[in-house]
Amino acid sequence: MDLVKAFGAQKVVDGLNLRISPGEFFSILGSSGCGKTTTLRLIAGFEQPSSGHVLLDGVDMTNTPPNRRNVNTVFQHYALFPHLDVFDNVAFGPRRARVDPGEVKRRVGEALELVQLAGYEKRKPAQLSGGQQQRVALARSLVLKPAVLLLDEPLGALDAKLRKQLQAELKALQRQVGITFIYVTHDQEEALTMSDRIAVMSRGRVEQVAAPREVYEEPASVFVADFLGVSNLMSAMAGGMSGVGGRMIRLGNFELRAECGDGSIQGRAKITIRPERVRIEPRGSGGENRIPGTIERCDYLGSAMQLVVRLVTGDLIHVQLQNTGEPLEFPRGAAVHAHLPAGALRVLADPGEDDGKG
Amino acid sequence: MRREATRRSRGSRWLALLTWGYVLLSLWPVVVAIQFSFNAGRSMTSWQGFSLTRWYFGDPVYSVWHDPTLQSALMQSLKLAALDMSIATPLGVLLALGLTRWRSPLASASNFLMLLPMVTPEIVTGVAFSLVILHLFVFLHPGTLAQALGHVTFSLSYVVVIVRGRLVSIGRQYEEAAADLGATPWQSLRYVLLPLLLPAIFASLMIVFAISIDDFVISQWLSCGAGCDTVPIRIYGAARARQTPAVNALAALMVYSTLIALGVAYLLFRFLTRGERASGTSPGAAVTTVGGLEW
Repeated sequence: MDLVKAFGAQKVVDGLNLRISPGEFFSILGSSGCGKTTTLRLIAGFEQPSSGHVLLDGVDMTNTPPNRRNVNTVFQHYALFPHLDVFDNVAFGPRRARVDPGEVKRRVGEALELVQLAGYEKRKPAQLSGGQQQRVALARSLVLKPAVLLLDEPLGALDAKLRKQLQAELKALQRQVGITFIYVTHDQEEALTMSDRIAVMSRGRVEQVAAPREVYEEPASVFVADFLGVSNLMSAMAGGMSGVGGRMIRLGNFELRAECGDGSIQGRAKITIRPERVRIEPRGSGGENRIPGTIERCDYLGSAMQLVVRLVTGDLIHVQLQNTGEPLEFPRGAAVHAHLPAGALRVLADPGEDDGKG
Repeated sequence: MRREATRRSRGSRWLALLTWGYVLLSLWPVVVAIQFSFNAGRSMTSWQGFSLTRWYFGDPVYSVWHDPTLQSALMQSLKLAALDMSIATPLGVLLALGLTRWRSPLASASNFLMLLPMVTPEIVTGVAFSLVILHLFVFLHPGTLAQALGHVTFSLSYVVVIVRGRLVSIGRQYEEAAADLGATPWQSLRYVLLPLLLPAIFASLMIVFAISIDDFVISQWLSCGAGCDTVPIRIYGAARARQTPAVNALAALMVYSTLIALGVAYLLFRFLTRGERASGTSPGAAVTTVGGLEW
């Protein structure tokens, strides 16, 4: 599958250009209103692009109505036909395609088997739980064996525990059927755990397209860093290259060395570090990239400790420490050194006033 | 806690009493009118014994069945109601579909125009219709067709309002899902939208029937004379001339037919939804039941 798209005028989706490979689990991640659902609707054919094209296997689908596209959608609120039972809901697509009744029955049975709902054929959607409805919606689309399955926040309406379980099932199912999934979500954890690749969107534009690990570890922009987890963004000045590798960064009165990020930035910049990469050391420990600070808060999270450290530069950073069973060495108010390892410190372009939060 | 519960139950008891009191009070005249349709004597005010059939068809001269004016009034009313239902309902459904899906500045104008008959005093509509038929569309003589068209014109807005309300609450999601699954616009209308609109369509049929059967003003203005008199016109006329309980019988018949229409609509609705429920046992059977919902 080749998908290339570009947009002008309406700017809900602005100059989007994605290429998704067959069999890929591709997520579009972004906050609400960033244009991710619109993108999905453009692919499905419910919206017409103001400019640009949607290609499916190299064929231009831009002017093909939704009912003639080999693309199916699992809607956010499922949109199961309330007047039809589970069987008829799943059989809706094959019947429109004039598949003969015996074959319809076989295929529907298969699809329901696939989503573990065999035996529920005669239930009405209203008699099913949210999770079951979601599976019916999935079966209803999969029964048509589409080239691409579009999923619009399909787990958004479910409770956290069920969501976790269905995430795993969905991923396994996708591997099993080998159909390309385009998955829209605002839940970063969901995108990270399931996807082969993620496109992070903001204000109708794609900020970064990369594998989950890369999106998290090597965010291309301040928005991506901030959207995926706590990013400890700090304003700094980028300087020249360092003799030992990486570049010099000035944060307040401190000289830091950063090995990651955009090497071309000069002057105003943002630096970021993930909370789990920050080390907390007692005052007096020496070495590079150490900034004094005091512990402002200390929250016990069970598996980890969440510290909030006020650096002497005025910046507030979050630090996550694994719970190793040892008692906490740094009580509230304690003076410490925050060690920001050069290998974890990343330099990003400063988007200025326009801070990229779409 | 306990005291609060008793207070609440006392309150709800009062509410129940008041409600039933109101229902009885408002229904009592109807019950009395129907009772006198079974009066053995000619009086409309004093009870002279029970006769099941006299004023319906027993009396060889004055009963509804034998009095040609009453009989024709009943037939005329039912004919108009049937015409109105079979024209205004499908037309109103289509209009509602068009008005909700049509995105254009003209759409809101049409929308407003659509609601105009509801707020126009009926007497004005009646006079206007009469003038139009007498001077403009002279080929449409006053008579059954003109009356039916009049009824359609002002009952249409009710159908549109009911169906559009349902359409809006249904939203576009089911149509989109149908299109997504390969249904043509026509198929998604037939297999998804119309079944979902069924309750609204039944409600519309009932409302149109009730409006048409009850109408006096427009029927009168477009009447061709005694032959086009409807039940309300005849009852109104009879009330100022000689009276027999046959008029009560006529009115009672209107009540019965309304109740029967309601009952039939309900049973039909139950039947249709049961058909839906039973489907899915075999794909063939399911197709037939879905086919049964085709309109």
